[in-house]
Amino acid sequence: MFQKQPLMRKVLWALAPIGLYSIWAYGLRALAVAAVTFAVGVGVEWLFERKKGGKTSEAVLVSCALYALSMPPAVPLWIVALGIAFGVFMAKEVYGGFGRNVFNVAIAGRLFVYISFAGALGASWLPHGGFGMGAGNLFGPVDAYSGATPLELMRTGGSVPILDLLLGLRDGTLGEAPIVLILAAAVYMAATKTANWKLMVATAAGGLAAAGGLLLAGVAKALPLESLLAGSFLFVAVFMATDPVTAPKKAPAQWAYGLLIGAVAVVIRTFSLFPEGTSFAILIGNSFASLFDRMAADAAARKKARAATAAGGAA
Amino acid sequence: MDFEFFTMNPIALFFASIFTSNILMSNFLGMCSFISVSKDYKSSFGLGLAVTVVMTITAAVSWVVLYYVLVPLGLEYLSFIVFIIVIAAVVQILEMVIDRASPALYLSLGIFLPLITVNCAILGAILFMQIRQYGFIESVVFAAGSGLGWWLAIMLLAAIRGRVENNPVPAGLKGAGITMITIGFMAMGFIGFSGMIAVQ
Repeated sequence: MFQKQPLMRKVLWALAPIGLYSIWAYGLRALAVAAVTFAVGVGVEWLFERKKGGKTSEAVLVSCALYALSMPPAVPLWIVALGIAFGVFMAKEVYGGFGRNVFNVAIAGRLFVYISFAGALGASWLPHGGFGMGAGNLFGPVDAYSGATPLELMRTGGSVPILDLLLGLRDGTLGEAPIVLILAAAVYMAATKTANWKLMVATAAGGLAAAGGLLLAGVAKALPLESLLAGSFLFVAVFMATDPVTAPKKAPAQWAYGLLIGAVAVVIRTFSLFPEGTSFAILIGNSFASLFDRMAADAAARKKARAATAAGGAA
Repeated sequence: MDFEFFTMNPIALFFASIFTSNILMSNFLGMCSFISVSKDYKSSFGLGLAVTVVMTITAAVSWVVLYYVLVPLGLEYLSFIVFIIVIAAVVQILEMVIDRASPALYLSLGIFLPLITVNCAILGAILFMQIRQYGFIESVVFAAGSGLGWWLAIMLLAAIRGRVENNPVPAGLKGAGITMITIGFMAMGFIGFSGMIAVQ
């Protein structure tokens, strides 16, 4: 049923420890969100590919895993299903399937529900730890939880202990918190050439530069190190910005793409109405990716033409 | 007279009108030429340049006409028609000047210059200028920023369309359909900027 895609398998291996963390942190909730996501996501892709006689790509498993890990733990399951169906259908199958999509599938689905149901998602945080003992009833409405994610704390001027951020001992979406595991996954993917290290470094650099610049400009709530560790910044930088299909192909374009994503993410989460800006930043980055590639190609062609005329003149 | 020459930080306004309040991505003005011309990368470049130039000049001229002719005479109710005439006149004069001064540029702009007369982004920018009661400097900065934002958006879309062109898109969605979906996703990204800098 699935196409064999070794690259995508490696991403899945890299995501496995983060998945285990989400089960430790939120218990059955994490499993329920994952089950719905995979069933609906793979189902939608299968419906489309069946007619064309093609096989379902393993890339859809990666999209589903990333989407599930980026959901807040107490999210209603029908929202989960709606988002991944939208992502796979509108962002991928409509564009012709695997390898043709312009926008990141997981981010498109996540952003769609994030904008449409901002209230429901914003009220879906749960206390972490203990296999989801804090989660209460699995399917019924969850008691209102008044805790704040580190990002919300920082916005209101509170401070967050760095060690807790590193170890993932904080509230957040299912898979964004364990920084140590995300960094390990980044090293693994970079070492096995599964993901492009330039994109990760450029994104982190863009975020650091923007946060540092804002700090110097006197916007106190944007502390550079914390803004990289809080929210989904690293998760997105490692797994979403490096999506080989939607990222630019040429090296100079990749640097520009990463820097743009990092900077836009920090700017949006600092100034806009939304507490988190990483998903928007990826979608804006995706919009710019083709143009960056095109400009890099044009610049390379101009350089070549100039070298050719210079060589011709010499000869 | 109840207008000022200068009321808002022009640098903030400039960046806001390019990025955070992009005239295409957040107001959806100028869609017709945006969709039809973005088929071709080079034409998009020419049209974007032309829109930016015309928008800046017409906003300046319209501001003067509005506050030194229409307002003193109490003829604000004619402003729509007058603005359209101003746009048409500016485009016409610009066309003649460019034809004289730089035939190469004239050829490269080609059909796009007259097309701009009916580009709603231009009229839209001028009406925003009137509604938001911008001063002269602000009007010019806002119009130049909006033009650049329009230019940026059409270049983004043209590059993406170049990439999507040969995809096996479902038959019913080929051409304008998939382009509308692409624009939707781009606009979804730009929603992130909402509430950042208030231009209105």
